[in-house]
Amino acid sequence: MEEKKELWAPFVATDEGREKIWSKERSFAQDVWFRFRHKKSALLGLVLIGLSLVFALAGPLMTTRSYSDQTLDYVSIPPWFRVYTMEDGTFLYLTSSMRPIQVAEDGTLGAPLVRIQDDMVTKKITYEYGADVVTVDYSQKPPAILDAAGQRMTAGKMVWNKTYPLGTDNLGRDLLVRLMYGARISLLVAFVAAAINLVIGVLYGGVAGYFGGNVDLVMMRIVDVISTIPLTLYVILIMVVMGQGLHSIIIALSSVYWVDMARVVRGQVLSLKGQEFVYAARTIGSSTGKILLSHLIPNAMGPILVTATMLIPSAIFMEAFLSFIGLGIPAPMASLGTMCNDAIAALRVCPYQLFWPAVAICLIMFAFNFVGDGLRDALDPKLKK
Amino acid sequence: MSGTNPELILEVRDLTMHFPVPGKRIDGKRPVVHAVDGVSFSIRRGHTLGLVGESGCGKSTCARTIIRIYDPTSGQIKLDGQNIENLTQAQLKPLRQKMQMIFQDPYASLNARMTVRDIVAEPLAAHGIGTERERTERVHEMLAKVGLSKEHANRYAHEFSGGQRQRVGISRALILHPELVICDEPISALDVSIQAQVVNLLKDIQDEWGITYLFIAHDLSMVRYVSDDVGVMYLGKLVELADSDEIYAHPLHPYTQGLLASIPVPSPRLARQKEEVSIEGDIPSPIAPPTGCRFHTRCRYAQPICSQEEPVMRDVGGGHQVACHLCK
Repeated sequence: MEEKKELWAPFVATDEGREKIWSKERSFAQDVWFRFRHKKSALLGLVLIGLSLVFALAGPLMTTRSYSDQTLDYVSIPPWFRVYTMEDGTFLYLTSSMRPIQVAEDGTLGAPLVRIQDDMVTKKITYEYGADVVTVDYSQKPPAILDAAGQRMTAGKMVWNKTYPLGTDNLGRDLLVRLMYGARISLLVAFVAAAINLVIGVLYGGVAGYFGGNVDLVMMRIVDVISTIPLTLYVILIMVVMGQGLHSIIIALSSVYWVDMARVVRGQVLSLKGQEFVYAARTIGSSTGKILLSHLIPNAMGPILVTATMLIPSAIFMEAFLSFIGLGIPAPMASLGTMCNDAIAALRVCPYQLFWPAVAICLIMFAFNFVGDGLRDALDPKLKK
Repeated sequence: MSGTNPELILEVRDLTMHFPVPGKRIDGKRPVVHAVDGVSFSIRRGHTLGLVGESGCGKSTCARTIIRIYDPTSGQIKLDGQNIENLTQAQLKPLRQKMQMIFQDPYASLNARMTVRDIVAEPLAAHGIGTERERTERVHEMLAKVGLSKEHANRYAHEFSGGQRQRVGISRALILHPELVICDEPISALDVSIQAQVVNLLKDIQDEWGITYLFIAHDLSMVRYVSDDVGVMYLGKLVELADSDEIYAHPLHPYTQGLLASIPVPSPRLARQKEEVSIEGDIPSPIAPPTGCRFHTRCRYAQPICSQEEPVMRDVGGGHQVACHLCK
């Protein structure tokens, strides 16, 4: 093999070359984004949050229905169902309240049939169907439509509900529209609670940690007192004073949840303030506010963001929980929690009513957790590879 | 105290810094760490005082107390003829332009969230000097002085090597053109090959600007190279203070002799000829320092008087001060 002499020549290091940093220059934001987008789960979370924002904010604008519009003819209609194929080729859907509804071939709901007579003895109800009549037999379970020969028919063809893609609830309200409004409430609570907690918690914890000593002692005992009082008690008391509604929930969540943030920030600041760069800032003569805001808090950003993103799903969940037990958003406004509560009563008959809000809560919480995780990694320059 | 000598940029008299031990209480009294206990020295303008001693002897605490990161327990600190030991942080702020500090750990002393430009410009911003543009210009000039380029200004500290980072720290300390710079072991965290580079940089800037250094290190050979005078500390006390050449040629205190003997000799033959005067044992606890001479527990020449009476700093001629009963 031929020896390549030039490859083995000594490398001449110039002063310039020695001092040069060979990695590419990127601004901080570019850097964070670069690391963030290389984490698949974080991107997925971001996409999910984006989709849920579009769903919650733009969704209600695209429909004429409102969260409180009731159509009592269409109570508890699932997103997909089996229809009876009649002799003339039309389709009928028998609701759980034993009322046949005309259904078009593509799944659009038509008019419900008009009842003529209910024979309690033979347990048969007759409905007007054009010039004809249709008889529903409820002597046996489940109820069924009888054909011309008086035999029980079976519902065969599967049809997607085109009028209400996610079905209706037990009051005949569109679940899709209610889900949009519910997600809107959840996200609103999440962002407002997180923003308020971030500001209060970071400042409070930062001040307690930086000054330390007796200031810290008194401030953290206040935190202890606040965190020992149960949240439900706060909510009930606040509702007594301010009335039921979104504002009470937001005030309750913001007045309590910042204590976790304050504890995290205090711990971080306590450990950071003994670092040499903080001493350096003090010997330089930087003001306390400047040290806190540009040295301590940015360096504690990782744990702060993790806490904040943990706080968002827990705020969403707390709002859903309060609404679920009837302390939250008053009817008829939809929230993911009230939707779950409404669905519980008819869980065995209409499980889909619980499914949608539950899935929505899960997805939103997952998304925030993923994004928080990705942000933590992306914001920490020490993890940079 | 006698009148102010304009020659002296820094005068420290009986400086004492005690830290309470958290939690512990013995017979209702709170024990304290005697980090610095009655240290006195002064530095002439444009000179360098080296402060040496083993780990935990109070060198860094001494530095941090002088620059008022800590509030001294007692004693006097005179910066440029002005007493600063009782000033509040707000009163100190204008004086901070005269006195800056270079830190030991180039990794911990630079904020990882700030660019080098912001780090070096922070003193200017804190004292409201110049507009943003002027500050950037001064940062670039300062970086050029320490051998870094404009391109480095937009980088974050973690992208730099240890030597480069320490030079960023030096830029930050020097951008206000201070009169006194306290160097708290500025080279001990660096590679040996980089140490010389950083020390030479400090010396060059001193020659050019006439800065005064208080240079703290535990490496005696480096201290000899940079210092005009050398002070040796042991367990919170200054035990010997003399001209740099004098202390290396005629170390009087047994502790100084031990320290000098610990300098590695770059030749095995010479090392074999060297007299064995190593110091035995560990440094005693600064919470309960030994009575009398603090070094008597480890001193090979210890006499009964050493454990009973505390020796005072005496001038043994030619400005050579030593605190030892046995040195005449």
